[in-house]
Amino acid sequence: MPGTTDGIKVEGTVVECLRSAMFKVELQNGHMVLAHISGKMRKNYIRIVPQDRVLVELTPYDLTRGRIVFRYRN
Amino acid sequence: MNSLPSPSQADEHAPAITRVAQGQWHAIEDDLVVGRGYASRRPDGRLFVGIDSWHAPSFDRLADALLADLPRPLYAVVDEADLDATADWRRAGFTNLRRERDYLVPTDPRVTGLGAAQPPLGATRTTILSLGQAQEGPLRSLDGVIRAEVEATVGWHTMPAEILPRPAGDTVVDPSKYAVAAQPDRYVGLVRVVTLTRRPRIGLIAVRAEQQRRGIARALLGNVLASLHDAGFEAASAEVDESNAAAVALFEGIGARHQGGNLELVLR
Repeated sequence: MPGTTDGIKVEGTVVECLRSAMFKVELQNGHMVLAHISGKMRKNYIRIVPQDRVLVELTPYDLTRGRIVFRYRN
Repeated sequence: MNSLPSPSQADEHAPAITRVAQGQWHAIEDDLVVGRGYASRRPDGRLFVGIDSWHAPSFDRLADALLADLPRPLYAVVDEADLDATADWRRAGFTNLRRERDYLVPTDPRVTGLGAAQPPLGATRTTILSLGQAQEGPLRSLDGVIRAEVEATVGWHTMPAEILPRPAGDTVVDPSKYAVAAQPDRYVGLVRVVTLTRRPRIGLIAVRAEQQRRGIARALLGNVLASLHDAGFEAASAEVDESNAAAVALFEGIGARHQGGNLELVLR
């Protein structure tokens, strides 16, 4: 949509699956973020397991947290 | 439903909602997309919605927009551990429809105890045909019978979700993903496995009603899990409706570990 910007998206690797529906993801720049799975992926039963390569959209309000919006195929 | 003030009364920085495409909405704040809403139909015709947002006001405004634009009933899926998301959808008027357990299923026969699982002996010889060996005609016939049996009892919506699009009227998307239990004149049981990712998914396991409680499901599982183990997969995933006692017993009986689950919500 013209004039609007999507959030920052960064590739990363899932390090750990946490109990509270959250994931620890190590980004390509070495930073670690806490991410949840997007609603779109959840309703399509796209699962995330450790070592998965994913695309994380960082929240503009806290760059240590994000949302997994895509899982790359192995 | 929710009682948020109208946009005219709200803070001037409240997100604006725009429908950007069929089934897609954006919440925009200061030219930044701060939330997204989605709607899509599953192959069974049900309309599922999803919302991603960073804070409750965005969620609520997106929910208002989706609910105003879409017909009822609407469905949503949340991780049962995600209390915030569950609260968001409840605030929008959604209620619990069913709860689904997520299982981590070991593939090692030494763990499952299925190494010696054989098709049941009896008046009719039953043989397990491994993944990709089933003939399409009898497989489709079995699929139709099972769907009719389930639909007449608990309803097909209680079975694991089917997501992949398929041609109208076709419920067997890829025969190569099935292993079957075969008798001389027909197939009596099937299991469907998808191995696209690091963790295969057991998407469906079912046996004709009159052939149940004879060990056929265990024999099917033993066959596919052994194949997955040989292929290097240590575990598979499976979803089971928590009200399906037989399926819960089947998976827990082979050492599958309950590791969370999903809540399916509905707005009628």
